[in-house]
Parts: sequence; structure tokens; C-alpha cells
Amino acid sequence: MPHLEIHDLTVSYEKNKPTLERFSLEVEQGELLSLLGPSGCGKTTTLRSVAGFIQPDAGQIVINDRDYTHLPPNRRDIGLVFQSYALFPHLTVFYNVAFGLRMRRIPKDEIYSRVTNALEMVGLEAFADRRPAQLSGGQQQRVALARATVIEPQVLLLDEPLSNLDARLRVDMRQEIRRLQQQLGITTLYVTHDQVEAMSISDRVVVMNQGEIEQIGTPESIFAAPETVFVADFMGFDNRFKAEVASVQGSKLTVNWGGAPIELRWHSKFGSPRPGAGAEIFFRADNASLSAGSEASGLAGYVILHTFHGNELRYLVETDIGEFSIMQDSASQRFEPGTTVTVQPHTQKWIAIIEETEEYA
Amino acid sequence: MVSRWMYLSLVILYGFLLGPFIIIFMASFGANATMAFPPQGFTLDWFTNVFETSQFIDSFWISLQLALLSTIVSLIMGMPVAYALTRFQFAWAGMVETVFSAPILVPGLVIGFAMLNFFVLLGDMHVMTGLFIGHTAILFPYSVRVISASLRNLDPYVEDAAVSLGANRLRGFLLVVLPNMQAGIAAAFVLGFITSFNNVPVSLFLSGPGVTTLPVSMLSYLEYYFDPTIAALSTLLVIFTVLLVQTAERILGLSQFV
Repeated sequence: MPHLEIHDLTVSYEKNKPTLERFSLEVEQGELLSLLGPSGCGKTTTLRSVAGFIQPDAGQIVINDRDYTHLPPNRRDIGLVFQSYALFPHLTVFYNVAFGLRMRRIPKDEIYSRVTNALEMVGLEAFADRRPAQLSGGQQQRVALARATVIEPQVLLLDEPLSNLDARLRVDMRQEIRRLQQQLGITTLYVTHDQVEAMSISDRVVVMNQGEIEQIGTPESIFAAPETVFVADFMGFDNRFKAEVASVQGSKLTVNWGGAPIELRWHSKFGSPRPGAGAEIFFRADNASLSAGSEASGLAGYVILHTFHGNELRYLVETDIGEFSIMQDSASQRFEPGTTVTVQPHTQKWIAIIEETEEYA
Repeated sequence: MVSRWMYLSLVILYGFLLGPFIIIFMASFGANATMAFPPQGFTLDWFTNVFETSQFIDSFWISLQLALLSTIVSLIMGMPVAYALTRFQFAWAGMVETVFSAPILVPGLVIGFAMLNFFVLLGDMHVMTGLFIGHTAILFPYSVRVISASLRNLDPYVEDAAVSLGANRLRGFLLVVLPNMQAGIAAAFVLGFITSFNNVPVSLFLSGPGVTTLPVSMLSYLEYYFDPTIAALSTLLVIFTVLLVQTAERILGLSQFV
């Protein structure tokens, strides 16, 4: 049985323009689930509905088999971490973390031991008497984490917790959040617009777009096998082109690549496409290679420019069906701009997505 | 070279700002029967005279009561307005802000004259009531502005954080928002108090027989006498105001809001 259930949640800020419409989601006990999507996709609305700050028009929120839908936010037993940290500026680190326990009228000595323990978990026991303004951004967010988890909440909600931190600190904090979450075994909903962050931290990822779930799955499956054009775009597939489906055999379909047929995995929402249908083909820059000259068994083009990325060189190649970005080991043969090359596909990592309804058999 | 010019212009600037005070200060100890500079002799008679002139003592108490009362009421009225303006987005926010700024933008004489006519229309009103309403009205925008500034410095999500940790909305406000508004409220108090205490144009119109504020009675005293009593009183007022502001600055760090 899932620990957190969202059933048919409908929220609208404007009349007849719902941000979420019949949105449903289930999170398992101890799982870290990310809501990933661009701003305005409804991920923060979902989070704030679970926290109780938004009263939905319809739908139900169930935690641990108990209906939370009409419970006020201060009685929900939910830990919340904000992008802006939202620490109490007039209180010391100790009293920031103690706040939730004091609201619960827990005895003083128990508060002391629990707060001390929580601060130890985030490595800030030496900072108990500081004010938030005396801490760095990363330290402030760790205090916020301690404050949200010390109350041993049913569910932990994190709203873009790393967006105010600089890039290097973000990677450290990512690991710290994940370690703490696994140590406490706490069911967690994590909102982010950063796909790398979502991939690295989550048990499962929900990709959202305009209030709808585009795809839900493990980071590995979403990374390797996006099911919609939106997800493929969002997951950073560098290259995209349109092709006509030549034939379909079970889980593979054939399209034409520079005169030669190639077999690709495909995905569509509506079943098997018919031959002649239009497909969107996606591949990453490191899922193709270049060879010198024009060959019969591949797509020929010429190099426009290359850029240096340490171990790799990234080429921009112009072909008859579009420009492609292709990564090569920088130790391998180098092609200067203007050189004619052939693009060799690594088709097992490519994916064809068919979305238009009239394209189906 | 640049710094020498900067020093020079600073000295000139301070000269113009402080010069008049220094002259008043020195004249208040002078033995001449009229204001004179440089003063001759030394006496504290003019200070004694201030305390013996019942007109000043009475109007001082009126000014003090008026300043305290109208400042406190304008703060109580200003707080919810400042809170609403900074925390909620609503259609008329810009309009509301403009209307609330009007008493700062409209000349004091115009406000005083307008209020006098308005109160006469309303009929028999106690002079003190009129003064109180007038002063509260001119202080209100200052309260709203200064308290808004202190609220804008506070992350709006701290309230949500408090609520998610188990506090209801009221407790969240009392335990988290109010403590962080303290400095702003104190700043608004000092600013409001001084503004009311020093106000001439509005008080001039709204004063009545026997009920006059200190600055207005100083003005009418000046019409008949030109002895250094006024200088002595001014010296006392400057010391009083400077002490008030210094204390507030020391305790609260006022200057971040004004």
C-alpha cells in the first residue's frame, strides 16, 4: 500500500483554467519521488496541496491510509523545505530546529536531545548558537533540513531546495539530502526543474508538463527510454529529426538513414504506427560516431565547427536532414571544419516517438 | 586633490547645516535682552524663563500627549495595511499605496486648511479631537511605509514554515513575523513621534483657544517677543530630539528603515 496517495486532484487559480486536473500519484513508504518539469507545470502546486496550503477544488490526499484533504496545514505532520530556506531570522539555529517540537509541547530535555541529534545528522552541532544570517547558504539549508526532519514527519516535501546554491555546493547537498532521507527512511516528494538533480537523487521521477504526468519511472528508464517528445526534449537528447516509418516489426520499426534502413526502438501512446507515419527520432550526441569521407552505409555531411570539452570534442555536422551535434573522443581522429564525414548511428540507443493520432494503423 | 575638495565641500555643507544651531545654542546663554550674536555675558535666565512660561509648559504636555497618542494609533492602523500590501497581491494595491502616500505628498498647509474646513462642516468638535485626527492622518503613511520596509526584509515563506511545523496562522504571526517587525515598528514610532511633535502647518489650523501645540505656541510667542527664551527652548528641543533618535539608533539600528 502506498504511503502517500493523491487521487484526482483538481486545483485552479483561475476559473475554468485548472493548473491540475484529476492528477493522481502514489508514493511508496520511504521512497524519494521527484516531480520534474518546467516552471508552471504544476509541480509546486502539487507539493503545496500535499502540505495543505492550497485547498483543492476536488480530489483527495491520503497519507498512511488517513484522509488529509481537509486537515489544516499545521496539523498535517509534514516537513517542508523551501528554496529560500525560510529560517526564522530572530532565532538561533537551535531554536529554529526546536520550533516544531516546542509547538508539539515536547518536554524540554527531550527537545534538547532531539535537536542536538538532528544537528549532528547535518554536521552543524557546533553552530547551535548562531543566527541564520551568520551561516552560509549551504549551512542554512542544512538547518532547514534538520528543522523539517526533527519532528519525524509522515512526509518530507522539498521545494527546489538547491536552486539558491552555487553549482558545486549543489552536488554536495544533493548527496547529503539523499543520505539523510535514506537514513531516516522518510517518504519524500522532491520538486525540481533540474533533470540532472532529479536523476541523481530519486528512486522514481515524475516528468510533468502542463499539469499532466508525461512519464513516470526510475531515473534509468526515463533517461534511456523517454516515451514522449516532451520528455525526450527535457531529458537532454541533443539531436532530433523527423522521419517516415518504413515498416514496423513488433518492438522495432525501420526508418531510412542516408539511403540505408536502420532499426529503432519506438514508443507511442496509441499503439502500433502504420507504415508512412511520421516519427520523431531522438539521439544523444555520444550515440553516433563520425568516419572520414562519404560512405554508402550512413548519412554524409560536413563539419561546421568543433568545440573542446576535455575528454571529448563536440562536432556540429550539417547533413541533408538537419544539423547534428556529435561527441567524439578527443584522442581519436580530428575532423576540421569543412571536412566531409559520415555519421554512423548507434541505433540501439536511439528512440523513435510517434505522437500524432492519425499516424496509427 | 580630489579628497581636499571633498573635505572642503563637506565642511561647507556641515557649516550650513549646523551653523544656525550653533548660533541658537550660543544665543540661548547670552545676557542680551534680545537675540544677538555673538552673545554677551552668560546667563541661564532664559532657560528658567522657559519653565516659568505656562504657555510653553501647557503646550508641551499637549504636544507630548498628542504625539504619543497619534503615533500609537497610526501604528495600530498601519500594521495591518503594511502587512496586506506586502503579503497579498490584489488589484488595487498600487492605488491604495498612492492614496496612503497622499499626506506625505500634499503640502501640510493644504492638509491643515482642508481639515479645518472639513471639521467645521462636521460641526462642534473638541479641539484636541481635531488635532488627534489630523496628526494620526499625517503619520499613518509613515507607519505604513516604515513597517512595510521591515516586512519586505522578511522572507514571506517563514510563516508557511512556522505553520508546517505546527503553529496556527495567528501563532505563526506572533512567534515569527512580529518579532521580526519589532525594529520596524520602533523606527516608525520614533519617526512618527518626531513628525507629530514638530508639526506646525496642520497644528496651526487645528489649534484652538487654550489648546495649542508647542511649535505653534513658539511661533505665536515669536510674534510678540524677540528675547532668547525661544533660543533656550529650541536648544532644549534639539537635545531632546537628538537623544531620542540616538537612543533608538543605538538600540535598534534605525537607519536601515528610514
